[in-house]
Amino acid sequence: MLCEKCKKNMATTHIRSVVNGIVSEKNLCAACATEEGYNDIGHNSLASMLASMFHEAPSRSLASQTRCSVCNSTFDDIASTGKVGCANCYKTFYTELLPYLKRVHGSTKHAGKVPCRAPLMVKPEKETIEDLRLELNRLVSEEKYEEAAVLRDKIRGMEANNNE
Amino acid sequence: MSSWYTKESSIAVSTRVRLARNLSGIPFPSRMSNEQFEELKQRAKSAICDSNTPFAKNLNFIDMASVPENEINAMVERHIISPEFAKRGGRSAIILSKDESISIMIGEEDHIRIQVILDGLKLEEAYDIAEQIDSLLDSRLHFAFDENLGFLTECPTNLGTGLRASLMLHLPACESSGEIASLSDTVNKIGFTVRGMYGEGSKAGASLYQISNQITLGLSEKNALDNLKSITARIIEKEENLRSSLNKLKVEDMAYRALGVLKNCRIITSNEMMNLLSRIKLGIDMGIIEEKINPIELLISNQRFMLMKKFGEMQPEERDIQRASNLREILQQEV
Repeated sequence: MLCEKCKKNMATTHIRSVVNGIVSEKNLCAACATEEGYNDIGHNSLASMLASMFHEAPSRSLASQTRCSVCNSTFDDIASTGKVGCANCYKTFYTELLPYLKRVHGSTKHAGKVPCRAPLMVKPEKETIEDLRLELNRLVSEEKYEEAAVLRDKIRGMEANNNE
Repeated sequence: MSSWYTKESSIAVSTRVRLARNLSGIPFPSRMSNEQFEELKQRAKSAICDSNTPFAKNLNFIDMASVPENEINAMVERHIISPEFAKRGGRSAIILSKDESISIMIGEEDHIRIQVILDGLKLEEAYDIAEQIDSLLDSRLHFAFDENLGFLTECPTNLGTGLRASLMLHLPACESSGEIASLSDTVNKIGFTVRGMYGEGSKAGASLYQISNQITLGLSEKNALDNLKSITARIIEKEENLRSSLNKLKVEDMAYRALGVLKNCRIITSNEMMNLLSRIKLGIDMGIIEEKINPIELLISNQRFMLMKKFGEMQPEERDIQRASNLREILQQEV
């Protein structure tokens, strides 16, 4: 069978579409099918594909109550655009995102390069006893006695270590 | 050092590798404030340009706000930046190597996209370069990373390695025998995609197709590259088999007719030029015609914005005339 559009090449793509109950059929060659956009189904716009996948989410109404504490996105925001707001969204909406990641990648466990961020890893500066004493004073002045007691014990422990 | 498209190629025309990275502590580009973009730009710039590495000497920082519109689009035509990045306007910057093989896009869909593009089939080489830049950036910036999800990206389809590797292949025999659709189906099922020359949603011109990996989570970079390599090898084999069954005289006839048109035309559209150059490339690559021309170089350098970058703003008809005149001039010299 020849392609219905160019009437030159062999038709290799059969397209059957149902719009409002009316069935229409087309037989196109590969080039014309691509031109009409049929070969692009599924990978033309990944974001929109993803967005449509998110919209099947049954737990959407529950998840939509939660907002990311960093960028203020809701799960609905992510679902409607297919784009995640910030790194923290992945923590906030981890459970909701997981089934989609599984569907997109077939896996939810990273197997590649791990950053060697040691040189710039945000390690807390070593706390000095002096810093802790200032903090202790602040807590006492704010009448937070329970927290102050914990801190006091910590300072005593550090002093003991230093004396050893 | 010259760009990928100025070099000779066969079925495998070019190799492109890109890594998607984001800085932790700054929201992804669509939720980033202007101040946060400035911070990102400065941090990325200093991480590369202030490093005393061999790379840094060859790399130039360019604020995209200072680049004329035609040049931005011409960069897309040379595959140096993505069409998506070209639309970003003022809120984007690039760190580009002199031969344009390395482009570090700042403010694309992710904070940083490291791209390496080389001629021919050079997956490992391209990845190695990208990986070294990644390691350099990693040691100076703090990338958003999760033990389970890998490098965190704005679009979940890039999570994990953030690696997209793609090969541009010249597949005229597959195309004319109607194999592209079934090829596309097959590679889709195993996590790859076939697209036109200019990426997502673009049509294939000149029988040039890009094949790239889709899966980035759960596979190591090496596995993804190995898989792409083996699937590409099979596509190339298929193209070669189909080529060997083509009628040589017809290929020769088509190539010389194409050359005749290009040498003599007075008005030519980009599409017509691409189709004709594809036929000439097929003839040259099959060893049927001997011409010392590089069809891919002609194809890229006579695209719409590449012409306007060189000759100034033009209406479509003026461009078609200019294109014809360029092609005539170059091809007449080759005789």
